Amino acid sequence: MKLVDEFRRIPLTIRVPAMVAALMIVVSAIISERVLSRLYETQQQHMAAVVGTYLDGLSNALIPPVLRGDIWETYDILDRTPSTYGVLVPLETIVTGRDGRVLASSHPKSVAPLAELPAEYADRAPPSDGMQIDWEKRTGFGRRDLLYQGRPVGAIHASFDISHLIAERREVLNTLLATNAALAIAFATVGYLLARRMVRPVKTLADHMRSGASATPRPIALEEFPRREGEFAELFHGFNALVEAERERSALTLKLAEEEKLASLGRLASSMAHEINNPLGGLFNCIDTLKRHGADESVRETSLSLLERGLTGIRDVVRAALATYRADRSGRPLTVQDLDDVRLLIGPEIARRQQTLNWERCPDTPSLAVLSGVAVRQALLNLVLNASTAAGDGGKISVQSRFDAEACTLVLAVGDSGPGLSSDALEVLVAPDPAPASRRANGLGLWMVRKMVDETGGRIRVGESDSAGALVELHLPLRDPLEVNHAA
Amino acid sequence: MKGIEDIPDCRPGGHARLGRRCFIGGALSLLSMPALAAAAANSLEKPVLRFGLTPVFLSNDLEVLDELKNYLANATGHEVQLVTQRTYQEVTALLVAGNLEAAWICGYPYRKFQDELVLVATPSWRGQPLYQSYLIVGADRGASSLDDCRGDIHAFSDPDSNSGYLVTKAYLAQRHLSEDTFFRKTFFTYGHRNVIRAVAAGLANSGSVDGYVWEVMKSIEPDLVSRTKVLVKSDWYGFPPIAAPARLKGTAAFERLRSAFLGMVSDPVGRSLLGRLQLDGFVDAPPSTFDGIAANIELVRRLG
Repeated sequence: MKLVDEFRRIPLTIRVPAMVAALMIVVSAIISERVLSRLYETQQQHMAAVVGTYLDGLSNALIPPVLRGDIWETYDILDRTPSTYGVLVPLETIVTGRDGRVLASSHPKSVAPLAELPAEYADRAPPSDGMQIDWEKRTGFGRRDLLYQGRPVGAIHASFDISHLIAERREVLNTLLATNAALAIAFATVGYLLARRMVRPVKTLADHMRSGASATPRPIALEEFPRREGEFAELFHGFNALVEAERERSALTLKLAEEEKLASLGRLASSMAHEINNPLGGLFNCIDTLKRHGADESVRETSLSLLERGLTGIRDVVRAALATYRADRSGRPLTVQDLDDVRLLIGPEIARRQQTLNWERCPDTPSLAVLSGVAVRQALLNLVLNASTAAGDGGKISVQSRFDAEACTLVLAVGDSGPGLSSDALEVLVAPDPAPASRRANGLGLWMVRKMVDETGGRIRVGESDSAGALVELHLPLRDPLEVNHAA
Repeated sequence: MKGIEDIPDCRPGGHARLGRRCFIGGALSLLSMPALAAAAANSLEKPVLRFGLTPVFLSNDLEVLDELKNYLANATGHEVQLVTQRTYQEVTALLVAGNLEAAWICGYPYRKFQDELVLVATPSWRGQPLYQSYLIVGADRGASSLDDCRGDIHAFSDPDSNSGYLVTKAYLAQRHLSEDTFFRKTFFTYGHRNVIRAVAAGLANSGSVDGYVWEVMKSIEPDLVSRTKVLVKSDWYGFPPIAAPARLKGTAAFERLRSAFLGMVSDPVGRSLLGRLQLDGFVDAPPSTFDGIAANIELVRRLG
């Protein structure tokens, strides 16, 4: 199984030619086996025919001396027989008499007259007129009974060199191997080229997908499309449609985020208007009092003091509003001032709802500069506004910023005395894919928080606050722990 | 010139054969001739001279045959017809029957048919009209005497050969043995060269062969002969002679043939022929030259 897995991991461009080559090897093995076995049969038939002719010629000459038991003449005939007989190369010829003993052989020193027929001939005992081939010993064996008046008077036993047949077989085998190897290589090459060509669109698609995952996906250019219309062209069109849809969705999301920002600003503006409006009545009263009783020193002093305090409050509110716009210069690094801005911004809303705010701020440090001032402030503002809404009138809100020296993070914790987070809100904050929940949840505030945290590579922890409400902690990584420690 | 064989002879034939000769010769009325001598004389007057040889001679060197034929034709003035047969016996039978005017036979049949044959000439080899019989074995064999050959498969040349049969048979007979009991198996090859082939190839463990043939072949076919070695050399016996039917003795043709052989050494063609045969020449040896063979015949007759 491991091997199969390994094989599956090999690129298609290699796997296809490898499989083609393997297939060719199997096919060539089968073909070679068939060709060779057919060759064996042909060779054997041919050999049997030639041996038959050879033995026929000998037997006619040999019958008279064998009948007489004439050792010399039998040998003389064998000795005068040509040592090659066309393609046939006799190795040894033995003539036995009626008693089965050797009368004479072509090589009397190895097989002497009157001896028993050697076992390699006797044991083999091919049928009369038959032919046996011993491929291992590279020898063919033939036997022919000598018949006189229909009765056997002796027999010829002959062995033949068949190395030329074996050489022929080897030659055929080599030719087969060479041809098949050449074919396998050719097919594998063609397979490789074809596979590479076929796989090229897939690679293009994969490249676009990979780059789309790490950055904004971009559509596949028309010149990168496969030349012919087909499955791949359709796939490319599909991918481009998907990219287009994704782009539209991102644009829409950005637009919605902007609108959300404006909406929250609207809420702030209305709070601010309220905050400004509240003292305005008192301030006009003071002005009236001054008009009428300005001459009175004590009245004038009191009225001016009231006016100053009222105007100071209005100035603070207006500063906060100004800070919101100042903030929109993107790419500005985070400072503690941004956190203080949130306190200023949320102040009127807290006051309007008569809520209690417990504010703890961390000390300033240059390490904060790795974070975006705008994004962090907007996220914190969203969280605090959410907490304020959840806590309701007269509720409690706690906002804490601190350093976690060990993990080297800035922790922003926002708690409230509300009923806790809804399941959708929870999902938006901590689920691996926040998109579905963000569509269900009303507003984009928490989604923007999640987006900011994800972009910084931080994480969100959700728990219970001291006042039994929700507690949301943003852990935002800082790069340099030494500076944090030093600053802390 | 390779294996020179003992040539069987035959005694003068009967009337039937004379008739055939007449027919071949043509003119003379042989039927009316009562005397063999007259018939023979007439027959020799005919141009055809039939000279008998053993077939091994023929098969081994046609050039020697051609040269012999031409020499004899020139020297005798006759047309010469060389006659070959498979065995000594066949040639001897033809000669004794008168179907041949002369033949190169072995001393053994000459002595057997001594009354019916006369010597024309006897070859001289290495200075004398004598030769030996060799008992040969394979070159790689460790035997040192004939006793080591007991139980052999033994190759004889021809049952009518002195050197290729009679000598070994007489040797065994002297020890009250026969070839059938002493040897495990014997066979005839009908040629001295064949005996050497059989022993060289291992078909036979030992063989009886003409010593002259063995020595001549040693220089002509050293590869074959070197695979054999001589175990026993016999006494000296009369060299296979040229013989003619006794009835032809004294005829003009007989004399011409005789002087052709005896004068061979002084003729260029003859010398070339002798060179091929590795003989010194032909001499007029007395019949007693073959007494050794006659003794063996007697020994075998008595004991074998």
